[in-house]
Amino acid sequence: MAKKDVTKPISLDPRGGRPREKCVTHIEGIDRILNGGIPVGNIVLLAGTVGSGKTTLAMEFLINGAKNGETCCYISVTEPSSKMLSNLQTYGFFDDSLVKEGKLNIFDLTVINDRLGVERMDGTYTAKDMEALLGAFEDIVDELGVTRLVVDSITAVCYQLPDRGSIRNFIFRLSQFLSTFGCTTMLISETVVDSNVQTYSIFGVEEAVADGVFLMGNIVRQGDLLRSLQVVKMRGAKHSRARHLIELTPVGLAVIPLLKWGQDGGQAFT
Amino acid sequence: MSVADIAKSIIKSINAGDTLATVGLPASNFHEGTVKLATVLLGKKLGGIYITTSRPSSHIIAELEEAKANLSDLYFVDLVSMTVGGNTEDARTLFIESPTMLESILLNISLLERRLKSKRRFVLFDSINGLSIYSEPKVLKEFINVLGNSMRIKAIYTMLMTVEEQTDGDLAAALELLSDTMIGT
Repeated sequence: MAKKDVTKPISLDPRGGRPREKCVTHIEGIDRILNGGIPVGNIVLLAGTVGSGKTTLAMEFLINGAKNGETCCYISVTEPSSKMLSNLQTYGFFDDSLVKEGKLNIFDLTVINDRLGVERMDGTYTAKDMEALLGAFEDIVDELGVTRLVVDSITAVCYQLPDRGSIRNFIFRLSQFLSTFGCTTMLISETVVDSNVQTYSIFGVEEAVADGVFLMGNIVRQGDLLRSLQVVKMRGAKHSRARHLIELTPVGLAVIPLLKWGQDGGQAFT
Repeated sequence: MSVADIAKSIIKSINAGDTLATVGLPASNFHEGTVKLATVLLGKKLGGIYITTSRPSSHIIAELEEAKANLSDLYFVDLVSMTVGGNTEDARTLFIESPTMLESILLNISLLERRLKSKRRFVLFDSINGLSIYSEPKVLKEFINVLGNSMRIKAIYTMLMTVEEQTDGDLAAALELLSDTMIGT
């Protein structure tokens, strides 16, 4: 009888230990970067400049989850859900039946605000409003059994909070209950580039509270704009920190490592 | 070396288990020779991906049709047509917006590879010199290295076509280091 091969494969993960359960994004290349996916229940800040593909990535994350039987939810803060739905029709990977079957749920924050009676003339939430809003988010996740959530954008929500302390508190509380429910979440953060430096958020608080940060941007190469993605942090997972190129293909987003020489030497990160 | 001899050397190289060949042709019959090589491989029941950096894919398709090549398992990655405002409607072709978007070539090869039905597959890169117009030598060399190694992993026989007169010593050395075989150079 042949001897059983008892050679253990060498673990390349310096952390050792047992990996956390992963939420597989099913986005070409992203799960490879994340060594299998986003740890279940993590809150990920999707930080990026205009046109860098944040909403598309977040939407594909939800659609792929819905296609695999999960209940997913998108909370639209910056545009009406009807407009978002018509934009979705342009994606080859979108399927109408996901919305009809309740696997993909799209909510307008303005409608939620109206129902809660928290819309303020001066656009600022009080502590009571904040509690009501967190309660509404919790109800949606709990009652529908949501396992994937996107808030587009958290920046727009933060503008309505009175100070950085409130922002920290809001995101911390949000992450606490989402984690308890095992709901993996993407918070979209609109960023700008100042003196060729891209920040992770407008208020400088969101990235500290989030479990993970995806930095998305545009790289200029010979005058052409290339979309890029870099995972800056992801609690509970070993991940690549290399910069990658993102492209929208007929089958969805695809991610591939950027050429090293193709991103420096006068090629600004905008 | 005649085109027929080059074709024989390529078949020999495929049968020997190579995965990466640099194929040099003179400028005088570069386009004609490259189309002939593709026709020979398709005739041997290989399926393939033709990457064009020097001419629109519609022209190459027309030439292959004229040569009565079997195009049922041939797909294209076209880096020319969108740049020059040519026809970008073709079911077997993926168009890349700009020849500077080198990573997109790798992505599109991966997408098309899934469509190939043949067991024996090839990638014909026409041409390395076409890319050098738009990319600095160090970027081009890095790209060739990444392309060559990713094709090795995929085990797809890849021909890097070069125009003899346009390939300087530095680029030729990089290609030689990477390739299993140099044909016609």
